[in-house]
Amino acid sequence: MRSAKAELALVALASAGAALAPGPSRAHEAALPPLEFEPPAPGTYTLQRIMPAPDGEVLGLDGHSHRLARFTHDRITVLGFVYTTCIDPEGCPLAQRVFDSLQRSLVETPALRGRVRLVTLSFDPARDTPAALRAYAGHRAADERSGVAWYFFTTRSARELTPLVEGFGQDVRVSVDRLGGLPRRELSHVLKVFLIDRAGFVREIYSSLFLHPQTVLNDIETLLMEQ
Amino acid sequence: MHRRIVGLVLRAALPAAALVLASMTTAGVAVADETCNSPYIAKLIKGQEDYIYVWALGVEGVGDGSDKLVTIDVNPKSKTYGKVLGSVSVGTRGEAHHMGFTDDRRYIWAGGLAEPNIYVFDIGKDPAKPALVKTIKDMADKSGYLGPHTYYAMPGRMLVQGLSNTKDKSGITGMALYNNKGDFIASYPMPTDNGGDGYGYDLAVNPKRNVLLTSSFTGYNNYMRPLGDLVKDAEAMKKFGNTMVAWDLKAMKPKQVFAVPGAPLEIRWSLKAGDNWAITATALTSKLWLVKESKGEWTAKEVATIGDPAKIPLPVDISIRRDGKGLWVNTFMDGTTRYFDLSNPEAPKQTYEKVTGKQVNMISQSWDGKRVYITSSLLANWDKGGADNEQFLRGFAWDGKELKPTFEVDFTKENLGRAHHMKLGSRSLKSS
Repeated sequence: MRSAKAELALVALASAGAALAPGPSRAHEAALPPLEFEPPAPGTYTLQRIMPAPDGEVLGLDGHSHRLARFTHDRITVLGFVYTTCIDPEGCPLAQRVFDSLQRSLVETPALRGRVRLVTLSFDPARDTPAALRAYAGHRAADERSGVAWYFFTTRSARELTPLVEGFGQDVRVSVDRLGGLPRRELSHVLKVFLIDRAGFVREIYSSLFLHPQTVLNDIETLLMEQ
Repeated sequence: MHRRIVGLVLRAALPAAALVLASMTTAGVAVADETCNSPYIAKLIKGQEDYIYVWALGVEGVGDGSDKLVTIDVNPKSKTYGKVLGSVSVGTRGEAHHMGFTDDRRYIWAGGLAEPNIYVFDIGKDPAKPALVKTIKDMADKSGYLGPHTYYAMPGRMLVQGLSNTKDKSGITGMALYNNKGDFIASYPMPTDNGGDGYGYDLAVNPKRNVLLTSSFTGYNNYMRPLGDLVKDAEAMKKFGNTMVAWDLKAMKPKQVFAVPGAPLEIRWSLKAGDNWAITATALTSKLWLVKESKGEWTAKEVATIGDPAKIPLPVDISIRRDGKGLWVNTFMDGTTRYFDLSNPEAPKQTYEKVTGKQVNMISQSWDGKRVYITSSLLANWDKGGADNEQFLRGFAWDGKELKPTFEVDFTKENLGRAHHMKLGSRSLKSS
């Protein structure tokens, strides 16, 4: 049985209509792989508390230092690790496309406005300086006026990054691709995107196999329906 | 209706099983290899593997008598090819059985069927020298389940299938979910309604379809019992699983229960893009079963016979090719390794067989299918006796026509115990 609060949340979200479901007419989303199953309805399943989101020092686009915990609490957070030179279509670019889609859906859904944030965290402090990350973020960077905050962070060094990637369980290995002529430094990683609740607990970890705006939005809705 | 069918088939199958098994001194069941890993493990070894990790059962009077993780060099270019590089003892003997990689492939989780303990080995720091870094001891307290069997990597966590429970040690069991740090998260009982028998064995997911498949074996009371005694106990022989379950993976809720008589064991999804089917083998009825999606519904059907079911060859492990076109099947009793052409998964055809040991259990293949590895032990109390109790890891080369022996490690001579589950390793997977 749903609680009254959960019912209210459902009604509010339902009133947002199709905005929760990314529309096929959007050019960006057409490039995303289709979701090959009908996900369970929001609120009909439990997202387990997997682990507390780790904390650490991060740098914003302005080069100022912040505690990451400030951006993993109080709102539902969708956090993904990237490095800006990643070209693996199943890696960072996929996450970016999903985040783009999520941002649009969140903007178009009044019930979610101000309740969800996106966080992109670089795991390549050597190349992803605040300036490089600023260029990468472009127009996506946080705009609180739209009600959807998207934050981009990097770190000062591998030393500051390590406890974060270790804490999230985001495995990263440095490899050198020599196939294209000049050696190219690559960060080998498994794509993971983390859904974090308002209390700072990781509640879902998406891999490229099921990272899709619809599943993420359903999960966000499920979290919002909790007491 | 559903349950009635299950019961009828089981009753028909078990007397024959009991008869044949009783005529053996000892016998037995088992998951393995590069093509059977969780789809969430991205670091597959697609070239030459360097190591085989064997999870071995301790034997009293052999070495330190404890369960241990044994590392063997399997790279033909190495000076120590086919040799034991080392072993890590866990200091107890708890019916070592299966193991699984975490999604980042930095750790192996392994456990025994006689206890709720789960051992975590670090293979990332030095893949040639695994180190025991943690023992998870709360599975029984937190979930009530006993005999952790399958360790299936999920993103950032591990789903562990139990075989039994601590209350009555029957086959009624469930799955325990841990995060990669080893903290318990949740448990999920195997269904006992809508045709479900509550038993568990293997699990495997198809994330694209949001489906988790589970199979069913038997509980502690049976698998820890000497096989000769067990098969004479008609009531006990009824207590084997006869179902598979399709779960809503996201919701972790059972959706469909299939009648698959005779203890369906290992589950292998076809890895070919676009395929949405899985295959399993039933231990007691010696059949291959296909689970596939049709018009939005999942169905399970018998598609082939393995050997002569009347002789209960006891299929114990299967290994699917990466393209889904072929399947290795090991049958314990007759020590035979069979190859089935799976070009049409609706009608697998056996095209090859070879006796590879007096008793054979797990079978693993390299990603390219050119190398096949076989171990010998099923369960301590089900393995054969006397000269038939060979304990080994054997390597073979497969050219599509013939399995040719390449190396052998005698686990008894090496004081290592009984060789059971295998996982492949590579020095290139060293954590940076």
